Amino acid sequence: MQTFVTETVDWPDTAPALREQVRTLVAEHGESDPVRRANSWTKADPAFSRKLGEAGLLGMTWPKEYGGHQRSQLERYVVIEELLAAGAPVGAHWIADRQSAPLLLRLGNEELKRRWVPAIARGEAYACIGLSEPGSGSDLASVRTSARRDGDEWVIDGQKVWTTGAHVSHFMIALVRSEEGSERQAGLSQFVIPMDAPGVSVQPIVDLTGAHEFNEVFFEDVRLPASALLGVESEGWKQATAELSLERSGPERYLSSMVLFLELVRYAGAKDDPALAQLVGRLAAEAWTLRLMSASVAAKLARGEDPALEATIVKDLGNSYEQAIPQLVQAAVDFGDAEAEVLHAVCFYLLQVSPSFSLRGGTREIIKGIIARGLGLR
Amino acid sequence: MSDTRRMLAEMADPLFAELGPNASEERDLSRLEELGLPLLLVSEAEGGFGGDWLDALTVFRLSGYHALGIDLPALVIQRAEGVDRELAMAFARSCQIAGALDAALALSVGYVNERQQFGRPLGRFQAVQQSLATFACEAAAANCAAMGAAQALDRGAADFEIAAAKLRANRAVEVGTAIAHQVHGAIGFTQEYSLQHLTRRLWQWRSEHGNDAYWSAKLGSRVIARGADNFWPDLTARTD
Repeated sequence: MQTFVTETVDWPDTAPALREQVRTLVAEHGESDPVRRANSWTKADPAFSRKLGEAGLLGMTWPKEYGGHQRSQLERYVVIEELLAAGAPVGAHWIADRQSAPLLLRLGNEELKRRWVPAIARGEAYACIGLSEPGSGSDLASVRTSARRDGDEWVIDGQKVWTTGAHVSHFMIALVRSEEGSERQAGLSQFVIPMDAPGVSVQPIVDLTGAHEFNEVFFEDVRLPASALLGVESEGWKQATAELSLERSGPERYLSSMVLFLELVRYAGAKDDPALAQLVGRLAAEAWTLRLMSASVAAKLARGEDPALEATIVKDLGNSYEQAIPQLVQAAVDFGDAEAEVLHAVCFYLLQVSPSFSLRGGTREIIKGIIARGLGLR
Repeated sequence: MSDTRRMLAEMADPLFAELGPNASEERDLSRLEELGLPLLLVSEAEGGFGGDWLDALTVFRLSGYHALGIDLPALVIQRAEGVDRELAMAFARSCQIAGALDAALALSVGYVNERQQFGRPLGRFQAVQQSLATFACEAAAANCAAMGAAQALDRGAADFEIAAAKLRANRAVEVGTAIAHQVHGAIGFTQEYSLQHLTRRLWQWRSEHGNDAYWSAKLGSRVIARGADNFWPDLTARTD
């Protein structure tokens, strides 16, 4: 039995040049506050997103006719791992670039593709994902938000919740029940809903750090043209879950606390403490391993395979790593030490936000259930 | 996987399975020699197999998977020219750990799917499923780390990668052996049942050629000496 078939990754020849390009851009336009650099893929900075768009670093793999740059999946991987390792504020465009535009390109009609994809590649249009509802979290198949036909139009009613970035997004791709009386996975469809459509309203939910990242989104008689249906009617479950396996293995699943690790290295450099050196060694080994694993999944995705099991393994290990870093730093470092000021600030921020790491994108329990199924236990 | 490597695996796998934990050098070395395995890393010009480090990973991992009673990696590395033996042995133990963890995982999954309690297989209980999922993650990490170290060896200097791989493998031993025994219950604790051949070796390999403290201190001092701003550029430069 081998659950994770490791394969060698052929890093693109262009990688060093791409890394240089990203590092220069981040040095000029990135975020300097180390606390803001932590968990940076939730930090929205539209100006930075537009800079990336201008530099050709968004929509990297998409066709040129939709504003993309027709580069390889691994070239895109190089760029996103550089952005995340540097703690660049990529939150505004992150979801749109990672999954919404690829989904539109794969399943969308011409009108949807023309309307949204080039603007996403320019770093001007942002997206959110409408999955969770008040009564529907990990049990996603229980969604109740409805779409009903009215002549040539669809009318959406209901509510989504925990919608990251809804307040800065231009559209949502929502999973809703389009067949009245349908149960569970059947009768669900995906719709592209402009956030400025009449009847859509967004209410902030403030998290425990005081930040506003997620929202409640309400739909009251939101009328959409027939073209707002994404892909095939009643195939929404399959479409939405295929999208999930793409989002689970990226470098954002292990790099959210990288800035704290780097601050730890800086602090340890001034201390000559063997215990700190050992902690640095242990965390460095894990970072190296996770990078290999994540890149190995990216290489499989690039070849058109669907390494869903491997992707969930990366997410589980990666999230545990991101969560362990602040816990271990807190245990090892005396925050009364004046030299530990930056470390203290970043650590306390991450201690507070890190519970979300094993919730977003599928809870740890759901993820382990998927791995168990892969092992043949369910 | 290259064709030579697949062929190598297809030769070694059944032989290691047959020889198993009770193999001895005295009795069985000739069987390994028939396949040219001890000369795996000796060049073809000098009458060896002419394998690379990814080939070595394949063979070492399988020797761990089957808990082979002969320390074949030590024989291979003894005969290899121009290698840092201590470092190469740390790499070998990482590969053996990766293989043995996969074998212990397979044994555990097989066992919980068979063993019935409360009217159903143990594997139907969510607590058991989640434990084994955790084990699968650790086994995967050890395997990926060993692969990364093998690739680095084939590229050239690999001291960072071997340190990281052995350290990662060592950590996986702790989690994997504990879960393997827990889901097996008492039977796993017997001499008769095969799990002990894997777990007892795993504990031994964790200590040999650098325990966690040794490699984490070494790796940590190195990373600290290079400084925070070089960590990521160094990491990516190793694979670009």
